[in-house]
Amino acid sequence: MPVPHQHPTPLAEEYRNLRARLGSKRVGIVGCGGLGSNAAWMLVRSGIGTLVLADHDLVEESNLHRQFFFRDQVGMPKTEALSINLTRIDPAVNLELFHEHVDEQNFATIFSEIDLFIEAVDTAHDKAMLVAVCSEQLPGVPIISASGLAGYGSANDIITRHLMGDLWMIGDLVSEVSEEHPLFASRVCVAAGHEAHMAIRILLGYPEA
Amino acid sequence: MRIQLALFASLSQYLPEADNGNRLSAHAQLIDLPDGSTVGQVIAALGLPDEPRIVFVNNRHAPESHVLQEGERLAVFPPVAGG
Repeated sequence: MPVPHQHPTPLAEEYRNLRARLGSKRVGIVGCGGLGSNAAWMLVRSGIGTLVLADHDLVEESNLHRQFFFRDQVGMPKTEALSINLTRIDPAVNLELFHEHVDEQNFATIFSEIDLFIEAVDTAHDKAMLVAVCSEQLPGVPIISASGLAGYGSANDIITRHLMGDLWMIGDLVSEVSEEHPLFASRVCVAAGHEAHMAIRILLGYPEA
Repeated sequence: MRIQLALFASLSQYLPEADNGNRLSAHAQLIDLPDGSTVGQVIAALGLPDEPRIVFVNNRHAPESHVLQEGERLAVFPPVAGG
């Protein structure tokens, strides 16, 4: 028996039109680690035209088990390494790189004119700070954040919620990273996939989670 | 003054007892406050843990100094680490 689809498979021309719409969009991401590096390649492969990427870290060997980097990139700024990898996927993608810490002082300057913002950082403090700063400084810009993706709990517990206003929240909301609940590439990438896919839906005019 | 209070995820346990149909959902209810109450005063009165939180009033970020108005919706979400 065929499985029903919510959306019919678009014809080739419709698909080209969708990609053309995404090609005019500009998405900002803070954090190029497990969430950000993986969401970024999904967005590039989906046809997003411009990514504004910010991260102050360097690639470390301990990142390689879940982040979109390779062993010969250890020691490089994450933004630079990610730029190399994304350009290998699509040489035409526009990438704006900021190898710096982002806070209320530089947020609006770095992310002016974005169509959507993805929070992809590690700490709870920075997640709260970035959501607050984006809501304050870029009102009306959709914000996709993630909370609760550590450990080896069911991948099915990670969902997308339209939490309030311009804020969508990805995750199981409670699984905090710790020694007992480390980060697994599989579960992190589920959350990154939710972030990227919700971004695509919003940018195509489907804001429902 | 009456506002809507929404406490998400682990914070929902801090919702006050609802006794007269004020509960709106598992994580939201109507509460009565003295006029002039600020977001910070509500958070302190509820005894929310001193941890990072996303605070929105009427769907936008609001500082803890924000003075709440009749009918506003205060929502608090506690992000957890990992990314």
